[in-house]
Parts: sequence; C-alpha cells; structure tokens
Amino acid sequence: MSGATVAVLQFPGVNCEAETLRALSRAGLEGEVFRWTRAASELGRYAAFVLPGGFSYQDRVRAGALAARDPLLAALAELASEGRPVLGICNGAQVLVEAGLVPGRGRVELSLARNRMPRRSGYYSRWVYCRVEPSPCVFTRDLPAGTLVPLPVAHGEGRFTAASRTVMPKLLEAGQVPLRYATAAGEIAEEFPALPNGAEVAAAGVCNAAGNVLAMMPHPERALELGALARGVAGAWSERRLACLQGDGDLAREDGPGAVFFRGLAAHLLEAV
Amino acid sequence: MSTLVKECALLFVELRAADPEATSALQVARAHLDGGAALLSLRRWRLFELRGEIPAAAELESRLHHSTQFYNPAKERGTVLGEGHGVSPAAPDEALVLVFDRGGERRPAAERWWKHDGGSKVEVREGTVWALRFEGGAPAEEQVEAIAVTTSRASGLLCNPHSQEWRWAAAGTQPPLDWISRRKTARAGRGPGGNAP
Repeated sequence: MSGATVAVLQFPGVNCEAETLRALSRAGLEGEVFRWTRAASELGRYAAFVLPGGFSYQDRVRAGALAARDPLLAALAELASEGRPVLGICNGAQVLVEAGLVPGRGRVELSLARNRMPRRSGYYSRWVYCRVEPSPCVFTRDLPAGTLVPLPVAHGEGRFTAASRTVMPKLLEAGQVPLRYATAAGEIAEEFPALPNGAEVAAAGVCNAAGNVLAMMPHPERALELGALARGVAGAWSERRLACLQGDGDLAREDGPGAVFFRGLAAHLLEAV
Repeated sequence: MSTLVKECALLFVELRAADPEATSALQVARAHLDGGAALLSLRRWRLFELRGEIPAAAELESRLHHSTQFYNPAKERGTVLGEGHGVSPAAPDEALVLVFDRGGERRPAAERWWKHDGGSKVEVREGTVWALRFEGGAPAEEQVEAIAVTTSRASGLLCNPHSQEWRWAAAGTQPPLDWISRRKTARAGRGPGGNAP
C-alpha cells in the first residue's frame, strides 16, 4: 500500500479498536490507535480516520454526545472538509452524527435514537442484510448498487431519524444513504427484525454529500473473514462459505463481507496518492 | 386500600452517590459549549410520571419503594411529588430541564407491574430531569436552552431535538404534575404546555 496511516480514534469506553486495526491491516493499510489524550493538532498527519464501536464515555447523556464535543472532533471536521475519509462504526457513527459531520452541513441534523422494536426495547444484536444504494460514498465505491452485504448489528441507539420527516428521504434521494437494511431477498426492510431498529428509510449508514464521511451502525470489522459469517445467513455469501468449506479454502483467509469497506478505503487512498 | 382518584404524580429518582453522568455533562458543558462557563452545577434525576388511579401519598410512596420497576433504594433515593403533597427536590436557584424520547416515554413493564400489584391502571412515563444552576442567579430561558438543546458541536448537550422533547421549569417553580404527558405548545420547551408559567 502507499504507506498511508489511518488513525483509529479511541475515546474512553471504545472497545473495538483491536478489530478495527486488524481490518485496516487486512486491507493493506497501516492503522494506529489515537487516544483522546493526544493533541488534536497531531491528527493532521493521518490520511484517514476510523471511529470504532464501543461505549464512549459510558454513553453518558446520550450515546456519542460527550465525545462529539471533544476538540478532536472539531479538528476531524476540518480534515473531513478537505476530503480525508472518516468512517464511524456504531458508537463512532453516533459520535459523527452528534458532531454534525453527517450529513455534514455543520449543524446537528439527525439523531441516532433508541431502537424501536415491537414488544421489546433496549440493546439488540443480530446479523442483518444491508443493501448498497447509489452513492458517492468512498467506502462502498467497489460495490454495485443492489449488492447485499450481511453484517452484524449490536446497539441500543441506532435509529436514524430527524425532527422533520422530509430529511431522511431527501438524504436518500441525494445519495447520502449508501446502506439500507434489507431482507434476504434484497427488498428494503420494512419490519423488525430485518429492520432491527426502526430507522427511517431503513438507513443503516448515512454519509456526507462528498461521500468521504460515513456513519454506519453495522460492524464490518466483525465480519472480516468468511469464517465469521453466521450460519443463519443466506445468499451468495453463505454459498461462498459452503464452497470454501467443501473445497480447500481457508475460512480465516477468505474475505468476509465486512472487508469490502476497508478495501474501498484502501483503494481510495491509493488513488489519492 | 385508600380512595383512588384520577390524577398525576411525579417520582424523582436520584443516585445516593455522586452522579458520574451529571459530573461528565457539567465538565463537557463548561469546557466546550458556548455559554457553558456560566454553568455552576448540574444535577440529574430520572423522572417517572404516573397518571391514573393514584393512591394516597403514603401508599404511593410505599408501592414505588418496594417495586423493582422504579428505583433501587439501596443506591437511589426517590422523592414523590403529588397533588397536595411533596416538593420538588430542586434548590430554589436551579432551573429544571426535562428531556424524554419522543414517542418512547411510556414504560409498559411498569404499567403491567402496577396493575398486577394493586389492580389499578396507571400510565407510566419516564424522562430525565437536569437541574442547572448558573452564575448570576436564576437564568433566562435562552440561557437554559443554549445548554439544553443540541444544535451543533458547540451549542447544546442535554437534548437532541431530532428524537427528543425538552421542557423546562424556571428556578423556584414547581414543575406541573403532568409534565411529560401534557400537550406541548407550538414551540417545544416553551409556554405553559411545557413549562412553569
């Protein structure tokens, strides 16, 4: 790879930094944990940024709300406006939304609200299908629209919503919803559990207009290898896993569905050099 | 069993130990929010509103105390505010901000418990109340709103208006007993629909 180094931002309570580093390494990128105690001015030397999952500041006040006020996020917003890629996964997505980096017009325009699920509440964890939508997003650049990507979700506050009912449909129309929850057949999910949290327009990920900042609730770093794929997952990925098991393949070496987001980042950075 | 009447009551639940959530929120607000430096203290309660057939004060307090649905007496203390009894636990110079999830404030498990335990029907709603004390005494609504309502990284913290509602009660006033369930006025957080007059 180009030697590009990616900062994995860690606030207290973030707990997915190790998997995220592995994901970057698998894609040929050099990753480095950047803890909240370091000076914001040091961020400038990184080519891209990942905010991993976890529970930053113990989810106090609201998930992501306290980390979003950290001076690191002001510096990150500057670098993002220059076009440097930023990926927020789960709690990282909550931080980006609370900081106004997505949809990216500077103000806080969305919320990742508590899940809405029939006859249950709270934290919910399962494998879901995400459908790739037409978008300028750099992380899904190698995936044709309509591609189904099975990924695990695990969150209590993952429902993309806005005060005005027109905001999310407009973002979808503008290509700023690159990932939507879908059924195994590829239809947009309308009901639980295919739609695991009640998100408007079934949004699983929202990006800024330029496509270099993506906030996504599913965890691609937990689906890096084919062997990580849940047995209940159907479709092409399941067939690939079965073929690997029946042949001479190595489930740990073959890419799983989550690797594509990091490979998309690597390809983007390579082009940028 | 005492006489039942249709009314509302509020239960304020506060940690017996120092509240880490309020401590963090105060530190972040003072350090990073516009106007946050004037904030002197921040306290937090979980607030339950009960609406329906509410028993008399002593029985109400006893039932809230022995249920596992509302608070843990080993680590929290509850203060009940009802029709003609109890006072708000806020200090006279603290403005109160109520925040709750829009459309997600009902607590069905607590309602089922209440019906099972005593046979009466109540609606239970939950939110969070923050008590804000500012330099210079009782704050104006705009000063409270600047800390409460998130509009950008540097403005507001306690409520994300895209999924939450907020209401406030001025310093020295009692919040209305139907604080969560009462209909809001045209502008969230303002007017008698949301606030003390």
